[in-house]
Amino acid sequence: MKNLPETIRMACTYVFLVLMAFLSLFPFVWMMIGATNTNTDVTKGKISFGSAFFDNFAKLSELFDVGQIFLNSAKIAIVGSFFTLLISSMAGYGFEIFRSALRERVYQALLLSMMVPFAALMIPLFTLLATADVLDTHMAVILPAVASAYIIFYFRQSTKAFPSELRDAARVDGLKEWQIFLFVYVPVMRSTYAAAFIIVFMTAWNNFLWPLIVLQSNELKTITLAISSLGSSYSPDFGVIMVATVLATLPTLLVFFAMQRQFVQGMLGSVK
Amino acid sequence: MADVKLTDIRKSFGPVDVIKGVDLDITAGEFVVFVGPSGCGKSTLLRMIAGLEDITSGELRIGGEVMNDIDPSKRGIAMVFQSYALYPHMTVRENMSFALKYAKVPKDEIDRQVNSASKILGLESLMERKPKALSGGQRQRVAIGRSIVRQPKVFLFDEPLSNLDAELRVHMRIEIARLHRELGTTIVYVTHDQVEAMTLADKIVVLRAGIIEQVGAPLELYDNPANTFVAGFIGSPRMNFFDGRVKACDGSRCHVELPAFDNAVVAIPLKGSMPAVGSDVSLGVRPEHFHDDGEGLLSLTIDMLEHLGGETFAYARSATGAMVVIETKHGRDLQSGQQFDARFRTDAALLFDKAGKRIY
Ligand SMILES: Nc1ncnc2c1ncn2[C@@H]1O[C@H](COP(=O)(O)OP(=O)(O)OP(=O)(O)O)[C@@H](O)[C@H]1O
Ligand SMILES: [Mg+2]
Repeated sequence: MKNLPETIRMACTYVFLVLMAFLSLFPFVWMMIGATNTNTDVTKGKISFGSAFFDNFAKLSELFDVGQIFLNSAKIAIVGSFFTLLISSMAGYGFEIFRSALRERVYQALLLSMMVPFAALMIPLFTLLATADVLDTHMAVILPAVASAYIIFYFRQSTKAFPSELRDAARVDGLKEWQIFLFVYVPVMRSTYAAAFIIVFMTAWNNFLWPLIVLQSNELKTITLAISSLGSSYSPDFGVIMVATVLATLPTLLVFFAMQRQFVQGMLGSVK
Repeated sequence: MADVKLTDIRKSFGPVDVIKGVDLDITAGEFVVFVGPSGCGKSTLLRMIAGLEDITSGELRIGGEVMNDIDPSKRGIAMVFQSYALYPHMTVRENMSFALKYAKVPKDEIDRQVNSASKILGLESLMERKPKALSGGQRQRVAIGRSIVRQPKVFLFDEPLSNLDAELRVHMRIEIARLHRELGTTIVYVTHDQVEAMTLADKIVVLRAGIIEQVGAPLELYDNPANTFVAGFIGSPRMNFFDGRVKACDGSRCHVELPAFDNAVVAIPLKGSMPAVGSDVSLGVRPEHFHDDGEGLLSLTIDMLEHLGGETFAYARSATGAMVVIETKHGRDLQSGQQFDARFRTDAALLFDKAGKRIY
């Protein structure tokens, strides 16, 4: 009987975990169920799969050019991620590798900039982009995210694990700085890149506020904007909203599951 | 093959002077080993020769040409690193051909070089593996192979064997010696390991705090160290040093009184000028110079014995507590705690002045 407290402890742990799992999974399941039901069923709180999925999807296609919207989101997320990873990893690498008297000062200023809330940046950023005459283009969504203090920070931390002798070896082998970065650093750090990619991709894909501000033309809108406009109509059709949400969630899920292993590895430190 | 000439080389990191004026001539084909305590600047000096570290002042020539501001890849050097520094995402073959590819060497020439290097090092069966799938010794061989293919005029090694276990280290040491014999290339080699230094070097350079203490052939440094630092650094176990005072000098011998040994007086033969009577000196005696028919006599108590089979190291103390290490052939007859009269060969003992400089 001496194991009783242990059993109770385990039981409590499991109850807690099940509860948490339920809390985090329920919205997801509900979204899937909702996508297959009509608006009336959803509002009545039906919690079983229905057969209205294709109807809902058809209605959604009537309201929006689903392909175009998907493409817009994908373009912003992929192109944005590419440039964010490129620019921010170069910055993180540079901060860690190259010695300079001002390096730490500049770096601290950069980290401090993470503390400025986005709300405070919106207006100056908007004016800046207006001056550059890129408002209402995808460029306006992508550009502000390209130099991400957080990703620079992440890459600088990860670069600490990059063996400096590898760089020395490459220099002796005759590589120029950009070649060392591209042909040695990037491949060696690929799990770091994978982890950063997931973060950046998801942020870009789920971004709502900034695209809402800078994108006006309908044919440029992203999927998050589409969902929100569905919800704000006079009589929202929840079945349709759920279909759109399912569509919006799929790519991030795919990316995550495809790169999960590298993600975990990257978080643990990539150079073994 | 090329000679390397360092003239008044200096290096500072900001306000810190790390290399404080090094002059060194390395003849073509020579195997030179840098030794010295940790942090004395061995790696820094080597990296300056490689071009990985800027030279603050002074002149570096390789093969007669000034190389101070030449790119590492154009100096005709190749470097082997302590951590091997193999590119983890490339196979052995790719690792070895990487530099040549960047030097735009034709493909069949690269293949020829890589194949011949892999044959020399016995890597043929490993060529398609990634470094992760290799043992430490194999990785080190690949690292050496990678530098061979570049056909450098000078090889630079920074503690290449220190990550290997003892047995493999001996094996690789022999292999490096063989390589040097076969290729005849100039080698500059940094190590902590005395045995590596003694066995591999044509010439040992002893560094301390950014300054060369002495340069010479291994046995020359062993037999004729220029100061107490070199005397203590080369040889294991360390040389014994006893404080003494010059009591008298005659034509060829200096009588030194040893306070730590009941003011015993030993007569040390000297060739050069005699130190002043009454001056403080330091007497250096290597453990193996204790010998039954030696003239110097010290009475000791044995603390501890290390039996190595053939010989024994006895760690002993004088009445006043001065430590002495003795190598003896009949250690089996000795016991800890035993009183013991040790004799040493005065003709092999060395005398140093108060500042540590050798008195010849
Ligand atoms: N980048 C640097 N910035 C400042 N000081 C440095 C730098 N690199 C080396 N040093 C200093 O220079 C001195 C010599 O370093 P070095 O690495 O050459 O020593 P070493 O003789 O190779 O030591 P070890 O045997 O431990 O490898 C050390 O005191 C070290 O702290
Ligand atoms: Mg070193």
